[in-house]
Amino acid sequence: MRLSSGAMRLVAENLSRSFGRRAFGPVSFRVETGRVLGVAGENGSGKTTLLKTLAGLIRPSAGRAKIFLDDEEAGDGHEPRDIPWRIGWVAPDLALYGELTAEENLTFFERVRGLAPAPGRARTLLERVGLPSESHSQKSLSSLSTGQRQRVKLAFATLHEPDLLLLDEPGANLDEAGRSIVQKVVASQRLRGITVIASNDPRDLALSDERVTLS
Amino acid sequence: MRAVRGLGTFVKALLGLGMAAICWAAFLWARPAQNFVGESSRIVFFHVPMAWVSTLAFFIAAWHSAVYLKKRRMENDDAAAGAARLGFVFCLLATVTGSIFARVMWNSYWNWDPRETSIVLLLLVYGAYLGLRGALEDPERRATLSAAYALVAVVTVPFLTFAVPRMYESLHPDTVINARGRIEMSADIKTVFFSSMAAFMILFFWMWNLDRKVSRIVRERAA
Amino acid sequence: MSAPHKATGILPAAIAVFRRELLAEWRTRVAVNSLFLFAFAVLVLVAYAVGPTRLSPEDRPTVNAVLLWVVLFFSAMTGLSRTFVHEEDAGTAAALRLSAPPPSVLLGKLLANVALLGAVTAFIVPLFVVLMGFTIRDLPLFVLLLLLGTFGLASASTFTAALVSKASARGTLFAVLAIPLLLPPLVGAVLATRVAATETEFSAGLDFARLLVAYDGVVTTAAFLLFDAVWRE
Repeated sequence: MRLSSGAMRLVAENLSRSFGRRAFGPVSFRVETGRVLGVAGENGSGKTTLLKTLAGLIRPSAGRAKIFLDDEEAGDGHEPRDIPWRIGWVAPDLALYGELTAEENLTFFERVRGLAPAPGRARTLLERVGLPSESHSQKSLSSLSTGQRQRVKLAFATLHEPDLLLLDEPGANLDEAGRSIVQKVVASQRLRGITVIASNDPRDLALSDERVTLS
Repeated sequence: MRAVRGLGTFVKALLGLGMAAICWAAFLWARPAQNFVGESSRIVFFHVPMAWVSTLAFFIAAWHSAVYLKKRRMENDDAAAGAARLGFVFCLLATVTGSIFARVMWNSYWNWDPRETSIVLLLLVYGAYLGLRGALEDPERRATLSAAYALVAVVTVPFLTFAVPRMYESLHPDTVINARGRIEMSADIKTVFFSSMAAFMILFFWMWNLDRKVSRIVRERAA
Repeated sequence: MSAPHKATGILPAAIAVFRRELLAEWRTRVAVNSLFLFAFAVLVLVAYAVGPTRLSPEDRPTVNAVLLWVVLFFSAMTGLSRTFVHEEDAGTAAALRLSAPPPSVLLGKLLANVALLGAVTAFIVPLFVVLMGFTIRDLPLFVLLLLLGTFGLASASTFTAALVSKASARGTLFAVLAIPLLLPPLVGAVLATRVAATETEFSAGLDFARLLVAYDGVVTTAAFLLFDAVWRE
């Protein structure tokens, strides 16, 4: 496991997004390495949109999201969309390829991300999220249960050992075993960088150190 | 934000009077050209400027599209879309007047000679561009994607003017502007023609400016 | 501040995208089936309605050239938009956006579309030649035109597919956007095919081949330059 090469920081300044009507914000926060930020709010308060903005999938309408890596202090930091290889994202909106198996999915994303070839990386990761290869290697992703797919998503998000991990409803569809896996993932992310968890579920939010509530 | 400068009142009045004068001169002062059926050469005073303006509008739209992609200012999107909307109208008029002329001159409404084909292609591009805009709700997505389309169109459309002429002889009259660019018109026709070209261009810029102002107001109201 | 350097191989990633497209297609066979069936159905209709005997010999080269490219064009319109539209519909586009460098996405999908259209072409053209009694006198030129023409069709279609994937009314919009872009190479390909059918000298059609090469180059370059803006928010 790659440990963080230096301190990192996530800063949001008056971040907001509108699609005609306001989706979320303006919101500001600051998260240091090793910390977990919880994002709470009712349905429709914009948690998912906020996380997508932090992932670089959506441009903010106003304000900035800045990521400072590797002890960078001054300057503007990086915009999420410029450093996709340092960011991991799990969300209900995320879907992986249904026709491929879990392992094929991960191998595909390994190749596409340009990760140094490491045979068995996908397998190890799947085992860590509780999907041992023997029982799941032949099944296409669409034939797995929603809970199993959620675990694969967690594997996908951590495949490239990101500095910033964004979890949107990570516990959705997961049983107790699955939830403990989420805890493990968050715990190991503390050693690597920052986690942001958006959820309605108090069990998910219990994993966080600080909280921000969207209205 | 830079203000959109409109035309001064004097210029607008001049345009109005000028257009009126051109209409009068086109029908009552200039003599019909030879080699044309009857009075049909008069259409040149309207058809050619409209075709020219619609082509110009396309390049203007492409230019502003490129600037938008670089600078992401909505003013450029307003400008591109406005140029396209006007260009479409002028293109439609040019196509129709061209077709009417073809009927009078060569007894068929359509002949697929290179210029006719080019104007139809331009019409299709405008239609596609406006159709794309209509199908996109989010203003930034709409601006980005339509800008991308405009730029691809502007580089691919000229290919047709090189492919088609190889096989088809042009039916378009050469007495007006021939391939070498020499203008073989009598003096009175020349006067009216170039005045009309100028007037149509000023008309286009005036309407385009108005459209941009309106677009900006609508955009600011919605924000 | 510039982003920290990340050596992302465009080519390996593109190949990964390409292989995944083919693998998914192999397993589901959706695009292949609909495309081949469609092309075949159009061919049957044309062959039945027109056939080899109903055209006078002077008309045959022109009409056959036109019909052939009409079949290929409509096949492209039917099947080549799926690559991007399906990603958006299935929700997998976000994962791809986060993981792959945009040029790789375009290149991989372009190659997949080229392969798909190429397969349909390889299937339809021999059948067409036989069923329509289409004699080609300059075979090398004909093959060259097919290669260049289908590449151009695939290239413009792939880019257009990316444009419409985020819009509503995808089906009609795709064709509406693609037609103006594709008329130039189609007209060139048809005229050139006619030459290939009637002349034996290779150089007679070279002008058109050059035109198609230029078109393919221009549209593909434009697509790569513009794709980043189109693909990402």
